[in-house]
Amino acid sequence: MSEMLVSKKEDIKRIKTHIVGLDEQIQNGIPEGHISLISGASGTMKSSVSFNILYNEVLKNKKNALYISLEQSYSSIINHMINMDYDLTKINLVILKDLSTMNTEIQKMNSHDVGSLILVDIGCIRKEIKEINMNENKSWLNVVKNIVKRIKEKSRLDLFVLDSLSALYVVSKFQNPRIELFFFFEFLRDLNITSFLISESSPTENKKYGEYDEDFLSDAVIYINLATYRRRQIREINIVKMRTTKCNHDIFSLEFRGGEFHAEYGGKNPLL
Amino acid sequence: MKKIIYAFKRLWGENEKLMNQKWKYDSKSVILTTPIITQKTDKNEVEILFGTKEGKVFSLDENAKVKWIFDTKENVSNVELMFLDDDEANSIKSTPNVDDINNDGEKEIVFGSESGKLYCLNTKGELMWSYDAKSAIRGSPLIMDLTGDKFKQIVIGTLGGTIHIISSKGEEITFFDVGEGIENRPLLVQNKLVFGTNEGNIKAYNFKGEMFWSYKTKDKISADVEVNDLENNGKLSLIVGSLDGTLYNLSLDGELIWSFDTNGAIMSKVNITDINKDHKLEILFGSCDNNIYCLNNKGEKIWSYETDFWVVSTPIVADIDNDGHLEIIAGSYDHNLYILDSEGSYMLNYIPGVSGIVTQTNNYANITNKETGSFVGRKLWQFKTDDMIVGCATINDKDELVVNTKSGKISNFKFNKGEHNE
Repeated sequence: MSEMLVSKKEDIKRIKTHIVGLDEQIQNGIPEGHISLISGASGTMKSSVSFNILYNEVLKNKKNALYISLEQSYSSIINHMINMDYDLTKINLVILKDLSTMNTEIQKMNSHDVGSLILVDIGCIRKEIKEINMNENKSWLNVVKNIVKRIKEKSRLDLFVLDSLSALYVVSKFQNPRIELFFFFEFLRDLNITSFLISESSPTENKKYGEYDEDFLSDAVIYINLATYRRRQIREINIVKMRTTKCNHDIFSLEFRGGEFHAEYGGKNPLL
Repeated sequence: MKKIIYAFKRLWGENEKLMNQKWKYDSKSVILTTPIITQKTDKNEVEILFGTKEGKVFSLDENAKVKWIFDTKENVSNVELMFLDDDEANSIKSTPNVDDINNDGEKEIVFGSESGKLYCLNTKGELMWSYDAKSAIRGSPLIMDLTGDKFKQIVIGTLGGTIHIISSKGEEITFFDVGEGIENRPLLVQNKLVFGTNEGNIKAYNFKGEMFWSYKTKDKISADVEVNDLENNGKLSLIVGSLDGTLYNLSLDGELIWSFDTNGAIMSKVNITDINKDHKLEILFGSCDNNIYCLNNKGEKIWSYETDFWVVSTPIVADIDNDGHLEIIAGSYDHNLYILDSEGSYMLNYIPGVSGIVTQTNNYANITNKETGSFVGRKLWQFKTDDMIVGCATINDKDELVVNTKSGKISNFKFNKGEHNE
């Protein structure tokens, strides 16, 4: 199922970023089914911003969400989120670290009447099944696709985060990255899942938002930057592009306080 | 009199129906390979084998009755399936090979799957053994006695770039890494394994994994390498097409002898036959520039015939109408099965005399010097099937043809030999 046609703009359903001050700059959220690139250098809180969207959508709107981590272990992510005061007891958190238990976990998830957040630790799965098909270069991309597809088929899947594209390139060793990425984006579009793909990038590189021009394929690009101002490191967020959305492309300061992300309108100069 | 009428009909292209469709079977799954026909010489029993995208191998008899179906899905765990492309996970892109590998007097069926498993079935379609190559097997397995011990071995190449040599009992004898994906059947010639790779190299290795030579083409090679004594001088040479659109003829030392360029990818192996009985071999192959080509043994075009879409399957040769001349049978992705005259016909580029001068004023020298025309393939008959034709095979002794289409339909055609049986 691909993107639905609408007759008026109010019919476009949107997913909030749950960043205070940012949603109102993008017509109250990202259009459902969009594939967004969350791009930024190391330490810019890309994972936390993405997790924040999933957590709040699961908690407030009973959505089902999937977070696939290729970098951090599930325990590291959970500890990090608890440290940021996310109350994970309020949602149905499903941890998948063994592929053979996936069907059972999906069945359990279906028995809950609240939304669920499924956290898949690919690193853990890799350790468990070292012997299977490691010669097949594309197989870890296939694992990611098959997890998404099966959860979508056997349950309901509204939101998806892949953390990160950069790690996927390392484990998958794509032969034709642009072609394979194109088909991966098409795969997500066909499933009509609102997706967030995290991309490690550096503003000093020519390819600012991704290694293989992922920004062209994405419906939205959210860029998070670390800026230095008078020996202070300030996080900045801006919407580089967002299809089907009238948005403010200005740069906002990004802060996390009181258990919430805030985008403060301050232009290039951070708040003093 | 009948023969004279027939000759006139041929001249004007009014051919009798050269084949009659005998039956059609729907496997209800996409088919990606050529059918394999086996015949038990003692019982004259025919078996038609093919694999499907759903991971099933079908065995039909000559009347389209299902003898058995083998399902590879049951042999792959759910966890293994997670590592495969869901759309392709169970696909059988490897054309089965049939041979008596263990000297028990019965032919075994050996084929590979997208999940990286090599299967060996008995004549009843029961699993004898399977071997895990850990990467997709897309080429047909090579079955040969490599060691001279009268037992046959199986050689496969994988998408992961490994060559595996397996015993007739399914045990690994050796494997080595060539570093480039392989999607075709290795060829054994003078104790060298020759194959094409996804990086566009034609490579020759010994059984220990030591490379003799490598020849670089400009694109992937999906076709099987063929070997033949083209010049009939005792010197074997290799012939293979590349997705770069060129057909290459190499010596057994990997030196280029000649090449022939087309404007589309060459996906399948060539057919080398003396089609016009001039005691010289001709080379037939299809290209994704929509043409069926016939070359002489020096790599020069004798004729070509243009269809409306890619020609992916290998053309085959048979005397369909029993007139003593061979016909070429070729399937196209334009859904049509074409029967072509083996000799082609000469087509003038312009009508000599007036029209040439009128249409090309100021170019008189050009007119007098340039070729007046060229040979083109001559269509004798065509039949529209329901989908892209992925492969054809003839049933020897029965004068029948089996055609696989991508949508999963298998058709059987009986040659119409009536005209010349008098």
